[in-house]
Amino acid sequence: MKLATRPLQPPVKANRRFLSASVMVPTLAGFLLCVILVAVSFGSVAIPLTTIVQLVLNGTGLFHFERHWDASLEVIIWQVRMPIVIGAALVGAALAVAGTLFQGMLRNPLADPYLIGTSSGAALGATVAFVLPFDTVYGTFFPLTPLLAFVGALFTVLLVYVVARSDGRTPVVTLLLAGVVVNAVLVAFQTLILTLWPSPDFGRILGLFNWLSGGVAIVGWQSLFIIGFIVIVGILCSLCFASILDVFALGEEGAAHLGLHVERSKFVIVMLGSLLTAAAVSISGLIGFVGLVTPHLMRMLLGPRHRVLLPASALAGAIFLVLADLLARVVLAPMVLPVGVFTALVGAPFFLFLLRSSKRDYTW
Amino acid sequence: MVEREDQAVNTTTTSPLLQMQRVSFGYRGQTLLYEVSLSVQAGEMIGLLGPNGSGKTTLLRLLSGVLRPQQGHVLLKGRDLRQWGRRGVAQHIAVVPQGLHMPFDFTVEHMVSLGRTPFAVSFWRTRGPQDRVLVEDAMVAAGVSTLAERVFNELSGGERQRVMIAMALAQQPAVLLLDEPTSHLDIKYQIETLELVQALNRERAMTIVAAMHDLNLASRYFSRLVLFQRGIVADASPTEVLEPGLLRRVYGINVQVGILRGAEHLSVLPPSRDAVSAEDEPGPATLVHIIAGGGSGELMMRALTDARIPFSAGALNIGDSDHALALRLAKEVITEQPYSPISQAALAQVRTCLAAVKVLIICPTAIGPGNLVLLQVAVQAAEKGLPVILLVSPVGTACAPDDLSTQVANSVQLFGARDYTQGQGLVLLEQLIAAGAHMSESVGEALEEAKKYIGTLLYNTL
Repeated sequence: MKLATRPLQPPVKANRRFLSASVMVPTLAGFLLCVILVAVSFGSVAIPLTTIVQLVLNGTGLFHFERHWDASLEVIIWQVRMPIVIGAALVGAALAVAGTLFQGMLRNPLADPYLIGTSSGAALGATVAFVLPFDTVYGTFFPLTPLLAFVGALFTVLLVYVVARSDGRTPVVTLLLAGVVVNAVLVAFQTLILTLWPSPDFGRILGLFNWLSGGVAIVGWQSLFIIGFIVIVGILCSLCFASILDVFALGEEGAAHLGLHVERSKFVIVMLGSLLTAAAVSISGLIGFVGLVTPHLMRMLLGPRHRVLLPASALAGAIFLVLADLLARVVLAPMVLPVGVFTALVGAPFFLFLLRSSKRDYTW
Repeated sequence: MVEREDQAVNTTTTSPLLQMQRVSFGYRGQTLLYEVSLSVQAGEMIGLLGPNGSGKTTLLRLLSGVLRPQQGHVLLKGRDLRQWGRRGVAQHIAVVPQGLHMPFDFTVEHMVSLGRTPFAVSFWRTRGPQDRVLVEDAMVAAGVSTLAERVFNELSGGERQRVMIAMALAQQPAVLLLDEPTSHLDIKYQIETLELVQALNRERAMTIVAAMHDLNLASRYFSRLVLFQRGIVADASPTEVLEPGLLRRVYGINVQVGILRGAEHLSVLPPSRDAVSAEDEPGPATLVHIIAGGGSGELMMRALTDARIPFSAGALNIGDSDHALALRLAKEVITEQPYSPISQAALAQVRTCLAAVKVLIICPTAIGPGNLVLLQVAVQAAEKGLPVILLVSPVGTACAPDDLSTQVANSVQLFGARDYTQGQGLVLLEQLIAAGAHMSESVGEALEEAKKYIGTLLYNTL
């Protein structure tokens, strides 16, 4: 059965350049927990970490530490800080996973969650929400801005997909180009709306600007639960596509040769990524860089297997955004800076550092 | 492995393993392949030859089920590929692509294990111990087990080729399709790769279909060669297919074919410099020229071949079924690019041909703006005294409406029915008739008429 014609070479020493996944993923998870606790402790009132740990453990209902803290602390932590930090973690995880999905499926290193129209769709939705004279729909349950941003993002991706489709196929290049075109059109609409409805209320315009530059809004637990549900289900579904994404690395034709229904899988992956992005964007506005850099970072550390890459990216994205949000709140306190500033200012140099210090070439 | 071989033995006796039945395919309304039929028996090793753009890769993609034929069927074990479904096809047919761009740093072992994808049991796709054994086996068979931990992108071209073959082997395919497996490789890896493929064919009874560029390697490793130019021009053993005249007409260049001293296989060489001029007169001179198209010349060309009358044909567009047939049967074929009007260069060749032959036969092809000039040239030749035979029977061609052929309409009406030039073609045909063209109702009649002009003595001696 031995068919090799060449003499056997001495086996090449297995050079493990990637960190072990079984160590890295739990480490990241633990680190995320620590980062969340630290982030909660910072703010206008400094709260000692031990107090926070006890308070949170009490919150689970399993422990009963004696209450030696002020009751107002509980309100600050549960109603103000925790939603923001958890929200940041969800947004980071969703964007990073979406980025991994798009990069893997499109085989394109520049792919990020906003590539095929989610950003402009969400921005247009948010703009409409800011222009409209009312703030919520259905009582106070759904704030208007997140809702319209979510709908806008998903709707735009569907539009892009329909535009790019011809003869029952959706070639990647057409998909990207359609994304660029639809982006341009929607941005034009957004500008048009803002020009035609000059709002006398400066606060509204500022609010829109803040939303566009990205920042985790203080949201209630109700909408956080909804977003959390979408994000977690979305990430779990993405994990099921891990091996399909590995096959996509061979190109669409290669994937078809291995028995994959390429068009069907492509559509589901695009929709999953867009759903995650839309959910994230609806509470955070447009935060750049997380979805682009986190997957690259994790791929450098852990290798390209998506079954490892996806959960690792989710955790790393969450850590990244919680930290960035912390910095945004702390650096010029009490002023809160847009998170997008920090994702770029911290993320970019760190990424460049890793890229250049990495011993081997990081090739695409 | 054992069951696979049993299956292979069983299918040889019953039906072909892989079969194309009158498959047509094209992009955006332009036909690339027209009614191609091919059958592949289990255990065969077939080399697919043809110039660039001849449709070899398209043929392979149709065989692998990635492209679906617009007409006709591709059958695997007698069942249409569509019925097998994507996974079912992937469990039987593996493809080694021409080159592979990997965007990520996958290790060799991971890549090869992707070959098990069609057999994954669940969505989560955990690979069992059996899969691991098969992946290991595939890597050993392709000689890449020492590379298992290496990153695919950092391997040499030959090593990559072996890894891609290993990946295909992990699919445990009955049929292995290879798209130019030796392009981009140096001579050592070319030989190694083909030795490997041959060993797979012989030791694992794997059926091989490979598109090949290198005619010499093809003649050495493949027992059956299919020469392809938008249609199957020849399908036989290397000695029959690698015939200098055939290659000259298909590839458009003169070559020498022979067995080099000490070698066992045919070699195809470019002509030596002095030989170029000597090649000008290949074989007996042509006696008849045929203007045809769209299948209208098929019967006439076959009849001339049976009568052993050497003829030239053209100008014909690549992809026309008459073109594929003419490449096989005619001494000289004037070739025009697909879907292009006849160019000045091709017209000049037609004039040269007409100057050499004794009779011109015009088959009942459709006359459009593209080939109208051919009739003009024919009229000029006829006025100079070249005998012309007009085949008027449109039977068996799609170039005229059916109802017309049943009526005994006069011939001018028949011409009018396939004239798409608002009467210009008709005028030229009338000029031809005025210049003394003979009208024949059938191919047999035309053949007898042509023999009169050629002279019985002449063609009997041939």
